[in-house]
Amino acid sequence: MLKIKNLHAQVGDTKILNGLDLEVGPGEVHAIMGPNGSGKSTLASVLSGREDYEVTDGSVDFDGVDLLDMDASDRAREGLFLAFQYPVEIPGVSNMNFMKAAINGKRAHAGLDPIKGNDFLQKVKECASLVELDGRLRDRSVNEGFSGGEKKRNEIFQMAMLEPKLAVLDETDSGLDIDALRVVSQGVNAMRNSDRSFMVITHYQRLLDHIVPDFVHVLSEGKIVKSGGKELALELEEKGYDWI
Amino acid sequence: MTGSKESFISNFQAPSNSHELRSQGHQYMADLPVPTRKSERWKYSPISKLVNSSLMTCSGEGVVWPEEILPNPIPFLDSYRIVFRNGSYVASLSDLPIDDDVVCAPLGDVEARFENEYHKSEWIGAINASYHQNGLFLKVGKNKALDRPIVVHHLTDGENIASFPRHFIKLEEGAKAEVVVWSSATDKSSGMCNGILEAHIAPNAYLVIDKVCNEGGEIFKFSYEHICQERDSKMKINTFTVKGHWVRNELEIVAQGPGTDSVFNGTYMPSGKEHVDNHTTMDHAYPNGTSSELYRGIMYDNSTGVFNGKVFVRKDSQQTNAFQQNSNIVASKGATINAKPELEIYADDVKCSHGCTVGQFDTEALFYLKSRGIGIDEAKALLVQAYVGDVIAAVDREEVKNEVMRLYSERHRWA
Ligand SMILES: Nc1ncnc2c1ncn2[C@@H]1O[C@H](COP(=O)(O)OP(=O)(O)O)[C@@H](O)[C@H]1O
Ligand SMILES: [Mg+2]
Repeated sequence: MLKIKNLHAQVGDTKILNGLDLEVGPGEVHAIMGPNGSGKSTLASVLSGREDYEVTDGSVDFDGVDLLDMDASDRAREGLFLAFQYPVEIPGVSNMNFMKAAINGKRAHAGLDPIKGNDFLQKVKECASLVELDGRLRDRSVNEGFSGGEKKRNEIFQMAMLEPKLAVLDETDSGLDIDALRVVSQGVNAMRNSDRSFMVITHYQRLLDHIVPDFVHVLSEGKIVKSGGKELALELEEKGYDWI
Repeated sequence: MTGSKESFISNFQAPSNSHELRSQGHQYMADLPVPTRKSERWKYSPISKLVNSSLMTCSGEGVVWPEEILPNPIPFLDSYRIVFRNGSYVASLSDLPIDDDVVCAPLGDVEARFENEYHKSEWIGAINASYHQNGLFLKVGKNKALDRPIVVHHLTDGENIASFPRHFIKLEEGAKAEVVVWSSATDKSSGMCNGILEAHIAPNAYLVIDKVCNEGGEIFKFSYEHICQERDSKMKINTFTVKGHWVRNELEIVAQGPGTDSVFNGTYMPSGKEHVDNHTTMDHAYPNGTSSELYRGIMYDNSTGVFNGKVFVRKDSQQTNAFQQNSNIVASKGATINAKPELEIYADDVKCSHGCTVGQFDTEALFYLKSRGIGIDEAKALLVQAYVGDVIAAVDREEVKNEVMRLYSERHRWA
């Protein structure tokens, strides 16, 4: 599904990723852990095509296509999804128009006609109930005036709507109370299947109690320094990152 | 410069009415300088190219309305209509209200007493005073609410045309009226359209004006609106520049009594080499007035723009509440906007806020949209629609709102 080889990335002269290797197979859930500033969000940004980051070396193969060769829109249309650590508020653009444009962008890329009104509404209903997203929030401008928890739920709602091949969740647990954490995790778990892969970025292990990973990797100074099974997360929780 | 000033007006002809105003106009036209870059008010809107051209007024005879322009620019709006072509009244395309409490006629048929002194301060105003042609005269009687909006449609059609519309509106106590001031021009047109609108709003009356400029060709378009508001009156004016080669909107609102309410908004999205200038003045001279101003623009390609918003809150105007906001997105490297708020506040117990921003598209928002599979052009269109849509949403009439949105979207190819 995803093969990252020797990835180097920087912003201006600041080198952030320093030779990162990672393979994610279909249906697998990989947790990426690591101290603040280790480059977790940068990895998510580079994968999703944020333009501030310059890739200076390495390659990323996404289900047979060269990910780094595409712009952000095409990466999404090919099936990559990023749940933002800090979702953006976009006043004046309704959540519904936003999602319709997104789905139709993806459909056009696949040579399909725009989605039918009824099918769209049906899908909205299903996906919203998955994360208990209020009708009120659906009809508002994108993330405008949403609480932290509502924003994160909206991210998972969008993920469900777009049915990605690979979802990268960046600190989806930050700013969530225990109820919201449960709802968000349920949403993610409901989306798990043998084809869809997840990269769950988190600083804490508590999210991994809810979304149980197949693999855990520790990122430090822009490289994967340790990999293991789900028990690695517990060990990290106990001993802290200094132990690595 | 004097030479070209005189030759510029040499082919202008005036109707024979309103002698007094015209002779004043001629006097000031001779005395006042042609605006140059040296004058603060015209610094970013030079007109030397215009003054060096050779224009002519049209007699209005032999009218052939061009096929590509609808006489009724908002087909779905149930409205009255008064139509002008190159400054002259076109009776055959007009449909005026007939009502005991309303006088609605071409300006040339009635006696109007203008009070504004624009011709004494600006050469552009003096030419209009000297050569003004026709326009709307509207008087709405006490407590009368006009049952439909009036669309005032001015068309410029032809090369090197000079036209001088002049409109007069008076609402008596408690009256209400909605006026759409629409200007269009055919693609082959060039020259100048120099218009003035004066409105008097008596106590408790309410005037709504939606002003839309949608002109093809290469016209220098000047318009000056002078609005006088008496005690407890309300007014709302939206100025939408959809399309125009060179457009200057000057709006002056004068409170003439306490408790007035003035709302004035605008949008502009020039592209190519278009130029759009909005100069606004809000003059609070009495207590308890409120004003709210919101102008938003997006500058594309090599377009140029000006926003100048003056707000005066004079000594005796306590409890004034004045809000002004101007935001601009400069979407291309070649585009520029000169934006300047000017607040002069002489009363102490007032609430005034203002903000003026010049920026780029919100790159975080664009990335968010793109990361969901929305292409860059569509992502920008969504942001643009939201940005100006917010201002356009304040239009009362659905039909007007929809048509302005439709024209913008057609022009900027939104989905
Ligand atoms: N856009 C940026 N500009 C400058 N420095 C950045 C930028 N993004 C990240 N960094 C730096 O790169 C390092 C890694 O940041 P980040 O990827 O956000 O880490 P994490 O998500 O693991 O906390 C930090 O030192 C951070 O300051
Ligand atoms: Mg981070």
